[in-house]
Amino acid sequence: MIKEKINLYLIQYAINAILRQKSKNFFILNIFILLTFLLTSIFFISNSIKYELNSTVEALPQITVQKIKAGKSYDMDTSVVDNILTITGVTDAVARVWGYYYFENVGVNFTIVGLDTYENQYKKSFENIVKKFDINELSENSSMIVGQGVYESFKKGYYLQNYFNFIKPDGSIKKLAIAGTFNSDIQLESNDVIIMSKENVREIFDINEDKTTDIVVKVANPEEIDTIAQKIKLMYPDTRVVTSEDFKVSYQNIFNYKSGIFLTIFIISLFTFFMIIYDKSSGLSSEEKREIGILKAIGWTIDDVLKEKFYESFIISFLAYMIGIISAFAFVYLFQAPLLREVFVGYSELKTTFELPFVFNFQTLFLVFFLSVPVYIAATIIPSWRTATLETDEVIR
Amino acid sequence: MMLVPEVLAILILNLIFALFSLIAFVLAVRIFFKWDLNATTKLQYSLEKQSFLTATIIKYIFAIKLPLFLFFIFTLDNISDLLTGAMCAAGVVDATEYGTYLFILKIINIYLFGFWLVLHYLDIKSKELKYTKIKFGFFIIIFLLFLIELILESIMFNSIDIDKMVSCCGTLYSSSATSYISNIFLIQTPILLSLFYGNFLLIVLFYYLKQKELFSLVNLFFIIISLISLILFFGTYIYELPTHHCPFCFLQKDYYYVGYLIYTLLFIGTFNGLIAGFINDKQRVKKAYKFSLVFNLLFLLLVSAYPIIYYIRNGTWL
Amino acid sequence: MIKLENVTKIYEINKEHCVTALENINLEFKEGELIVLKGASGSGKSTILSLIAALSKPTSGEVIVDNNRISKLPDNFAALYRRKNIGFIFQKYNLIPTLSVKDNILLPLVPTNPDEKEALEKLNQVMEKFDISHKQNIIVRNLSGGEQQRVAIARAHINDPKIIIADEPTANLDEKLSLNFIEILKKLKQSNKTIIVATHDPLFFNLDFVDKIIEIKNGTIGDSDK
Repeated sequence: MIKEKINLYLIQYAINAILRQKSKNFFILNIFILLTFLLTSIFFISNSIKYELNSTVEALPQITVQKIKAGKSYDMDTSVVDNILTITGVTDAVARVWGYYYFENVGVNFTIVGLDTYENQYKKSFENIVKKFDINELSENSSMIVGQGVYESFKKGYYLQNYFNFIKPDGSIKKLAIAGTFNSDIQLESNDVIIMSKENVREIFDINEDKTTDIVVKVANPEEIDTIAQKIKLMYPDTRVVTSEDFKVSYQNIFNYKSGIFLTIFIISLFTFFMIIYDKSSGLSSEEKREIGILKAIGWTIDDVLKEKFYESFIISFLAYMIGIISAFAFVYLFQAPLLREVFVGYSELKTTFELPFVFNFQTLFLVFFLSVPVYIAATIIPSWRTATLETDEVIR
Repeated sequence: MMLVPEVLAILILNLIFALFSLIAFVLAVRIFFKWDLNATTKLQYSLEKQSFLTATIIKYIFAIKLPLFLFFIFTLDNISDLLTGAMCAAGVVDATEYGTYLFILKIINIYLFGFWLVLHYLDIKSKELKYTKIKFGFFIIIFLLFLIELILESIMFNSIDIDKMVSCCGTLYSSSATSYISNIFLIQTPILLSLFYGNFLLIVLFYYLKQKELFSLVNLFFIIISLISLILFFGTYIYELPTHHCPFCFLQKDYYYVGYLIYTLLFIGTFNGLIAGFINDKQRVKKAYKFSLVFNLLFLLLVSAYPIIYYIRNGTWL
Repeated sequence: MIKLENVTKIYEINKEHCVTALENINLEFKEGELIVLKGASGSGKSTILSLIAALSKPTSGEVIVDNNRISKLPDNFAALYRRKNIGFIFQKYNLIPTLSVKDNILLPLVPTNPDEKEALEKLNQVMEKFDISHKQNIIVRNLSGGEQQRVAIARAHINDPKIIIADEPTANLDEKLSLNFIEILKKLKQSNKTIIVATHDPLFFNLDFVDKIIEIKNGTIGDSDK
């Protein structure tokens, strides 16, 4: 391996050469920064969302059982719970009462979840809530606890007081006071959630005492989840039985699908970028040609000229890369990626006001590097070579 | 199909490599057949210019190929999370029938590109450009192998099936494996170690005797014996587990990425050892001798440190 | 120490059109001589300079400098030869206008990555010799014509070359500056460098310190004086 001292003179010359072509290089620099910025931002956002999503999926129930009628989900009998509990391997089955409430003024859906103090909560966050707030008290005082996002929505829909009027199916009003707000560790989820007693949920949605929205099942051995799910399906053929694995896979798929679109767009822009760079670096003014002629006449070899051109390319591309990354950092984690995040989180009706968690990945930085700098340098190889091999004697006449 | 962004990045760069190496190949063929330094024709002058382009392209590919290779291994490691059964890159390599061949080919190509560069630098140092024809002829061969590597890589990534179960390195690198790897487990440890250290002593011997060709030869053997010793013996001390033989796992974070260091040292040492045998330039050979000895020694010390430290700490061997 | 033996140079503009710049030229220059190549534009005198500077290769024949055949040197060796042995003074100075005087003079040394002290030494020596030290940090385009000329000459000298080549050095200068140049030329002659000037400026044809005047006409050598 040939180790050479870094040639500071050459670097200095290269920097000067870059500044001599200010407008052209500035243009290239900006395109490049834009590209790395977009790319990095997209990766950062998707990393953060993936992280959030994975945390969410961890907290999902292992098996969810819903009754399906005419392709739509329907309330089921609470007695089903007892039957499921008889299956070996099932440690717990909880009848859930919940639903979506559409708040017309703001145009968002809230998820209303009914909790019962004496039941085993299927989610840690709910456990914490039950510990913190006394549900019975909630029921007695006709109050509820809302997620942060809900609270914001209320304010938007000009409910400035600490209560909310739910409109029941028969048109009458159920007023509930806001006893407090919560945010669980998982922001994506908790944002649009309202917690109240099961009774109140039943009242708002007009669900009977002996009916339940769906049933969540806990299984002792995670390996058994699929088997038990199948058993439940056999017992109740009119149900849809979804396991946590299924959720995970479908989340992943939506995710990858969206990432796939972006990457395709990116490849196209990369190609365009390549063409632009090639075009821009190919055009040599007579001034530039003369310069190279001078250099070669005073003793620069073709390799020296190539090296100098390479330094120029590398400085520009690396600078652009660094600026692109740092801007992306600021954009995504300081400003929370306005506009761009909407493309990813689109499927939740509530405009999620969650914070993108800071997820740092060296790999992402290397990935963006490999997708940008080498491509740029490749685009400059042939133009640099053309420049370096110009016939000197004709040029300096 | 594995369409994670990392794989896509690798494939995009491969496409660029394919394009540029094709250009270099076409030029190399022309130069190989038509080069005549003494001619003053326009053809010769343009060939001279084009040889610069070819050299630049090859330098570029090599410069990116090296970090890309590390990135490749890193990516394999990450993909292993998505494949059932795989716990490290070994599982991913094994997931398809192309994986192992691809890996070996990649390593061979890195050596070959390195050789080409050494040849190139020697060539431009001489006034008669005496290695030019050989250099480009050599590249023709390199190009074919490189093309195979690129195609193989695309096929491999394309054919990874997420749902298919792969073997973990525990079963792959054990005496119960059904591949040829299991055969190496028949070697007894004392014999293995004497081969390993003996080989190194031969390297030292030929260094002092300045026998270039033999020096190269023992370096070649050293590559093979080192890899086998790593798998059979030294690896177990890195993992502190007598049954863990995987050559990939110690590239992971848990082992402080020491694998990258180990393999880099081995590469630099043996690479220099190999070129020593083929070059006539006195200065370069001296340098190659030195580098080879030093880096092979460092490699030896590093891998030997693990069992020794283990013994000191635990008072017994595994 | 410079010999051109049976040198022919033909430029192929395209497949049909060829230009013979030089035809079967034979020249010999001794060390320390100051030679003036006289001839109109396009006569071939610039081509001779190119060949001596190894900037181009002859179609046939040999160029020998200091017993070295430089005609067929590969590019990097040719550039190395130029760097060590040739100082070029161009018609239009050909300085890099946005660099300082210092940086312009150092330009030939840049790819060699010289030791800082050494480079500074050489730089100061040459700047003093041509009286331009006081302007070393000034950007070249802000200098007067005469100062730029001195920077160009200083640059040609940074490597202490044996051969100085000047291609139409006074073509863009007024009389005063031209005379200045001739004074500098006189000084250079005293340092035993071989100097070759290609020009059609009559000022050069009557100088007493010129060793040879060679006329180049249509690619061949005409009469030569002295």
